[in-house]
Amino acid sequence: MTVVPQSGGSISRGSTSSLYDVLELILDRGLVIDVFVRVSLVGIEILKIDARIVVASVDTYLRFAEACNRLDLETGSKQPTQLTDLVGEITEGGAEGKSKGALTGAVEAVKDTLTGDGAEDEDEEEYEENGEDEQEEPEYEEEPRQQRRRRPARGASRRQRE
Amino acid sequence: MAVYVYSITSKDLPMRLDDLHGVGDPPSPLRTVTAGVLCAVVSDAPEDLRPRRRDVLAHQQVQERLMADGAVLPLRFGMTAENDEVVRAALEDSADTYQEQLRNLNGATEYNLKVSWEEEALLRRILLESEDARKLNAATREGGTPGMSLALGELVAQEAEVRQQALAAGIVEALRPYVRDESLTSPGGHDFLNISFLVQQDKEEMFLATEISLANQLGEECEFRLSGPLPPYSFV
Repeated sequence: MTVVPQSGGSISRGSTSSLYDVLELILDRGLVIDVFVRVSLVGIEILKIDARIVVASVDTYLRFAEACNRLDLETGSKQPTQLTDLVGEITEGGAEGKSKGALTGAVEAVKDTLTGDGAEDEDEEEYEENGEDEQEEPEYEEEPRQQRRRRPARGASRRQRE
Repeated sequence: MAVYVYSITSKDLPMRLDDLHGVGDPPSPLRTVTAGVLCAVVSDAPEDLRPRRRDVLAHQQVQERLMADGAVLPLRFGMTAENDEVVRAALEDSADTYQEQLRNLNGATEYNLKVSWEEEALLRRILLESEDARKLNAATREGGTPGMSLALGELVAQEAEVRQQALAAGIVEALRPYVRDESLTSPGGHDFLNISFLVQQDKEEMFLATEISLANQLGEECEFRLSGPLPPYSFV
């Protein structure tokens, strides 16, 4: 079972996500018997490298800084007072039901002004990740790629990359 | 001829494998190698096995079919033995260990949970909660030095790490009463939590209900991806 995410960027993963999410278990866990031979599988080594994400890197820092700048820029220009209120409520604790309700409302409002921009960015990142996967694991990606082609938006941008 | 080995089970399982096929192209038929009370599900090994989607699926489907009828010890994808005799000898040599493992895993399945925090929501939260981050953000927006951008990014990364670790610990803590065992792995991509749980049948309902409740509570900002019930790959 899978909880369907709310953000636009993730929905397009669709049914392929379930196998993808258990792939590492099938390839990397499971019983190993000493006297048996593991066939050489190039893609498996790649998968292990993929799993290691470096958070503490200059690239990540700059990306975060840029994302923060963008975030604040839009909220700042469109809803300066609400942002200030929001900050006040959070630092005060926001434990009472009343202030919580107001907080959620304000967050929603801020979110609405930002959705368009953020969703595009997320999509772009996913394309890049998938693109790398395909180069390094051509065999595994063979069939999922065909499936994705049926989706017009994603398929179009995929063809450009290929 | 080399054989591909899928799974070890008790020979008493019904082995409803007729409509399934093994790895390879064309797919090889599944058969069993029995030794004492144990049984291995195998097929002829293809010459050039790669982790193609259909092969990984074939491997997984064999496990799923078997686990519907009883405990299984799923092998890692890609394990081959020289011939049936080697498989039989391996079953005999470690018969006690495998039987013990099968008994231990009876009625238990694996669930894998991955959780990611939507980046925008996380960054917004950090900016709202950290005055230092807010100040640096305001300064860099008005054209600060590259060093200030780096400092902001580093601070935000640290703040993100702290929040992610706290939330991960909270999620695991909430589910722990309903699991028999757990296996934490380093998360990939945008995930901050990647953990497998071994869940016993009688606790399964509570485990699932708790997971749904967590996902609903955190659904605004976090994406929960629960896979299962799975063969106990992480617990063999």
